Amino acid sequence: MKYFGGCDAGSTYTKCVIIDENGKIAAAVTNRSRINPVLSAQDALSEAVLKVNDLQKAEDLTYLIGTGYGRNKVPFADENISEISCHAMGVHVVNPDINAVIDIGGQDVKGIAIDSDGTVLNFAMNDKCAAGTGRFFETMANAFEMSLEEFSKLSLKAKNIIPITAQCTVFAESEVISLVGEGKPMEEIAAGIEMSVAKRCFVMAKKAGAVDRVTLTGGCAKNDGLKEAIEKVLKLKVIDLDIDPQIIGALGAAEFARMKG
Amino acid sequence: MKDLKHIYYLENLLQDSCNDLVKKARQKGKIAVGSVCSLIPEPLLNLPGCFSVRLRAPRTGSIEMGTYYMTSIMCELSRAFLERAIEGGYGYLDCIIAPDACAQMNRCVENIEHLNLCSNEKFFITYSDVPMKSDDTALRHYVRQMKKYVLEPLEHVYNIDVSDHALRTAVENHNQVSALLMKIGEFRAEENVKITGYEFAVLCLATYCCPKEELISILEETLEEVKNREPDLKNPYRARVVMVGSEIDDPDLIKLTEEAGALVVADRYCFGSFPGREQIAINESEDVLTQICRHYMITEQCPRYMNTEKIYQRHDYVDKLAKKFRADGIIYEQIKFCDYWGYERAFAGKIMREKFGYPVLSVDRPYVVGNSGQLRTRVQAFVESIEIKKIRNH
Repeated sequence: MKYFGGCDAGSTYTKCVIIDENGKIAAAVTNRSRINPVLSAQDALSEAVLKVNDLQKAEDLTYLIGTGYGRNKVPFADENISEISCHAMGVHVVNPDINAVIDIGGQDVKGIAIDSDGTVLNFAMNDKCAAGTGRFFETMANAFEMSLEEFSKLSLKAKNIIPITAQCTVFAESEVISLVGEGKPMEEIAAGIEMSVAKRCFVMAKKAGAVDRVTLTGGCAKNDGLKEAIEKVLKLKVIDLDIDPQIIGALGAAEFARMKG
Repeated sequence: MKDLKHIYYLENLLQDSCNDLVKKARQKGKIAVGSVCSLIPEPLLNLPGCFSVRLRAPRTGSIEMGTYYMTSIMCELSRAFLERAIEGGYGYLDCIIAPDACAQMNRCVENIEHLNLCSNEKFFITYSDVPMKSDDTALRHYVRQMKKYVLEPLEHVYNIDVSDHALRTAVENHNQVSALLMKIGEFRAEENVKITGYEFAVLCLATYCCPKEELISILEETLEEVKNREPDLKNPYRARVVMVGSEIDDPDLIKLTEEAGALVVADRYCFGSFPGREQIAINESEDVLTQICRHYMITEQCPRYMNTEKIYQRHDYVDKLAKKFRADGIIYEQIKFCDYWGYERAFAGKIMREKFGYPVLSVDRPYVVGNSGQLRTRVQAFVESIEIKKIRNH
């Protein structure tokens, strides 16, 4: 049996997926990224390889593709492909009916329109600013002294939304601290934060031409409060994927590896 | 490919606005004329006895001081220029010739004047009104403005010869440098890459920022070198693109684009060669100034020109470049908060995609791109989408 790998060296998490020649997932690993993307990728690859009986080491993979911000640092990779193309392909192999993705990663937000064969029709992406990304949520959860999971559930309890005016992560944090100081309900502030990110996602999705059959990928896709806020602003039901949305980029890379290998 | 002989020298030269060639020309007693816009015809600033330096702010870091005077909603280019002026980077200039073309750049130049940041004894700044339409009335106005706010001040303050004869000499020199550069640039149309977009951007930028006559031997040698240059056996680029947009005064942006797989085969941006480095044809019967102004008015591609013919001309121009240089796609870029390119990028990007059928990547960027991972990802994804379209078409 031949095996193909995709390694998504993201800014916050490194994901590795190995699929067999039929496209079935044989191993999937998600690790917190280290400062050095080479080491992060190496660790994730080794861990994933250990889960497949037929493989001894990463070099045994028939074809390996790197993606994510550290895509050109993935050891033993045959080539690298942008995470935009990989997320489109990853979603396509999981659910070919979906034609748009909002990917919210650690340091960027992307709207991607997908063609019927899984390739990218159009995309939009934020620039250097970290507003509306995973980093933003981490900062906000820290301010609330909560884990990300607790924070994402908190907003679901809100009856009202307190709007957050600042988009900048730093200013938004001070705005949130002021609101907490004023004694505003925590869940309503949290809902305001989710809504501010959802609006940013709305912009990226619209810019990319994503209009219907939308799904979320990336680590932030697991945030239920955000998902609900996005559904509100986009006025549609976001389609859930059958697998962990955080590994979609790595899965897309593995699928490209299968096509090329 | 083997590195071009002069590329490192030129790269180093471009690390500073007041570079070695500028210093050398000033030591010879020449007047350094600061320029901030392509709408002032270059030959007028390169008359015998003076030379133009298109202002840049290489190695820009923080632009806090510039932002203090200009506010954060002004384009970063104008703020970076003011920052550099405050740092003393333009102290060598003898004058700045600024058109009243872009309000943001004008505010920058006014601040340079107001804060007295260039202290040469006879230093002056002029502002002139340049056309927004391309017709005979606009041309007459253009000529009058150039006479009053460019030629006359240079003559009165620095005793520069502004006669027809001097203007003809300036055009001849301009044409000589332009011809050499364009011949080098023609190699970008070839299938096998003999010169990269980055290398050409370095050469072209040098002709805007250094006394031109000092570059002639370098360009001549480079032309011969490129003619005989062996391309790499394996083409490292996956797509060919035309770069269109506002000021790109940092070749690292072109380098980043090419590292992401997109070879820049034509440069339709401010500081590029299309337009700006084509020959200026002049006849004997008409006064030279009018002919120079007409040439600039007709060839200029800046979106500040707002008449319908010019708008259509800009789309056709990019289309022609894309065809000639066999581009697979077009990248439209602009520096954030650029008034003119903000509209042009949005509008032309859509037209080139929908009417002309090109894949288009539209980029709104900061002045300093540096090693932007996001921009690299966007370009790479664009290249991948072009590649897939090519495969499908086959």
